Amino acid sequence: MASRPVVNAPPTVALDHIEELSRVAGEDGTLLAIRNQARACLVPLELPNRARHLWRYTNPARFLPESDPTAVAPIDVGSTWRLDEPLSVAALIAGGALRLVEVDATARKAGVVVEDLHRAPAGDLLGTVVPASHGFLEAINTAAWRGGVLVRIPAGISLEHPIRLRLVAGGLSLPRVLVVAGEDSSFEVIEGHVGGDRGTGKVIGVTEILVGKGADVRYGLVQRWEPGVVGHLTARARVLAGARFQMSLASFGGAAFKADVGAFLAGEGAEVETYGVAMGGDSQHFDHHTEHIHEAGKTHSNLDFKVALTGSARSAYTGMIRIAPGAAGSEAYQENRNLLLSENARAESIPELEILTDDVRCSHGATVSPLDPEQLFYLKSRGLPHLQAMRVIVYGFLDQTLARLPQTTRDRIAALVAARLHTD
Amino acid sequence: MNNHAKPVFQCTGVHIHIGEKEIVKGVDLTVLPGEIHAIMGPNGSGKSTLANGLMGHPTYTVEGTVILAGEDVSAMPPDEKARRGMFLAFQYPVAVPGVTVASFLRAAVSAVRGVDVPVREFRKELLARMEDLEMDPAFAGRYLNDGFSGGEKKRVEILQLLMLKPKFALLDETDSGLDIDALKVVAKGINTAVSNDTGMVLVTHYQRLLNYVHPDVVHVFMDGRIVRAGGPELALELEERGYDWLEPAAAAGGV
Repeated sequence: MASRPVVNAPPTVALDHIEELSRVAGEDGTLLAIRNQARACLVPLELPNRARHLWRYTNPARFLPESDPTAVAPIDVGSTWRLDEPLSVAALIAGGALRLVEVDATARKAGVVVEDLHRAPAGDLLGTVVPASHGFLEAINTAAWRGGVLVRIPAGISLEHPIRLRLVAGGLSLPRVLVVAGEDSSFEVIEGHVGGDRGTGKVIGVTEILVGKGADVRYGLVQRWEPGVVGHLTARARVLAGARFQMSLASFGGAAFKADVGAFLAGEGAEVETYGVAMGGDSQHFDHHTEHIHEAGKTHSNLDFKVALTGSARSAYTGMIRIAPGAAGSEAYQENRNLLLSENARAESIPELEILTDDVRCSHGATVSPLDPEQLFYLKSRGLPHLQAMRVIVYGFLDQTLARLPQTTRDRIAALVAARLHTD
Repeated sequence: MNNHAKPVFQCTGVHIHIGEKEIVKGVDLTVLPGEIHAIMGPNGSGKSTLANGLMGHPTYTVEGTVILAGEDVSAMPPDEKARRGMFLAFQYPVAVPGVTVASFLRAAVSAVRGVDVPVREFRKELLARMEDLEMDPAFAGRYLNDGFSGGEKKRVEILQLLMLKPKFALLDETDSGLDIDALKVVAKGINTAVSNDTGMVLVTHYQRLLNYVHPDVVHVFMDGRIVRAGGPELALELEERGYDWLEPAAAAGGV
């Protein structure tokens, strides 16, 4: 599709108080240097060009901070969290700070480290998966992030219970998460985004995950902001040889949400699976971008992303699969299905394939369709009222994808789906 | 059959249109509890339109009166008809991926009975009915009709019939596409439902099913009308002679 370039006004994001922010947070010089580099990187960057695929459906200006994020005092949002399940780690970021860390005895004994990222010796890792040059919003986050956590799982450690990170939106939030999975470690980590109950909130978040050789990491990114929140989340994993990374993505809340998530399959035999569901209603705007970047040979990726929309909700999905010249013997599959439950809902689906080597297997599929009247009639003929029939169809549509997730995550997301179905 | 009972189903003056086109051109039917009526007719005569239209498929415009167990349900949507005891076994059951047979049936049974059936109790009942129909219990966990063979789909329709225990059931070509073993199982299910006083209309164009299920009345359906009604012997006559000999009756506008 030919489209005219859209000229954006030059961005005006001031970042004048980086030194003070870094000093108050107790950071060492390495982290400060990373911030300053990011600011320098930002200067020549322009707002993402809306003619480019990634921003064709969403106005990037919506996500910009309205004032200097290094000067804004974070809002102290309420941060109660009822922990009602066995967890290896619970960590809460709210009001621009890491507020709560609990590590259970088994994880502690195993050497699991959970630290305030501001004070962690993470200078050699921060920005290695999502560098500031990734994009405008990532550069802002790297220069001005506030409230972060480092989770480090030693080599060879398997955690029975999940790690749960909760990030609470409120005012302007720029959280940063860094997860380091040691060789042959195995665990599940869920990053839950909530909050914004004061009606508004802006979030620019970045998460980096380093998956060591042979590790097995299940990562969940669950977004259920209150209505009104506008947020952009970037998450990337670098997956080394023989490792497996499974990402589950669940998007429910906010007024406008853009997610840019994916993985680099950086070592031979790496496996990446991404399973996601998004449910939008009213005038919600979703824009999901996924990337599976095959850098090494014999790597395997699979993606299944489902979207269900009601009201006048909008969704755009762009899915990039890139298979680098050196990645022979790789396989990549991508499927995106969209179900429109109302006449005014709209969805776009754009697969993007860059296959730079011959010896690959690759496929993609995309559909956008309304509810099937024959399915509805069938369920109604069995006594299910219209609304219930609709819910059953939507639940089934999404649950096919959720069925591939770890049971507890599946149950949790399924409960959110069910709750959402009963409020629409 | 109970000749003194009140009809479970009665329709009068039923005309069904798709858009401007009239497909069903005036049908009257009365079914008593535990009665089996066979509606036989050539392809394209409007049998399936009659069955789907009576249940309330949104494609069709239905005129006439439909009384279910004494209550006028003519204007009701399909789900209300179902909750009042009407059932349609589909000729082409629809797949609902992501929804298991068990969870779907529990929702349907709860809707029709008007109470939430406890999981354990429901499960026990479901497995018993599946055993009656010689179905692998693993079916309960499969997605509804998703990737099922023709015969499996028909068995699941009959499973629903037995679980939902309707007062009146329309079976649209439930016998088509079945091998002889599956046909016997389906017939057993139909006979079980009838012995529980379900009134039944079997829409079919083969006599085959009627070797195992004994109709009280056989109706011949041609060009949107019932052109002749008789006993079981009429089905055998159709098998032998085909439908051509009834064409004058059809042209004359039916019985």
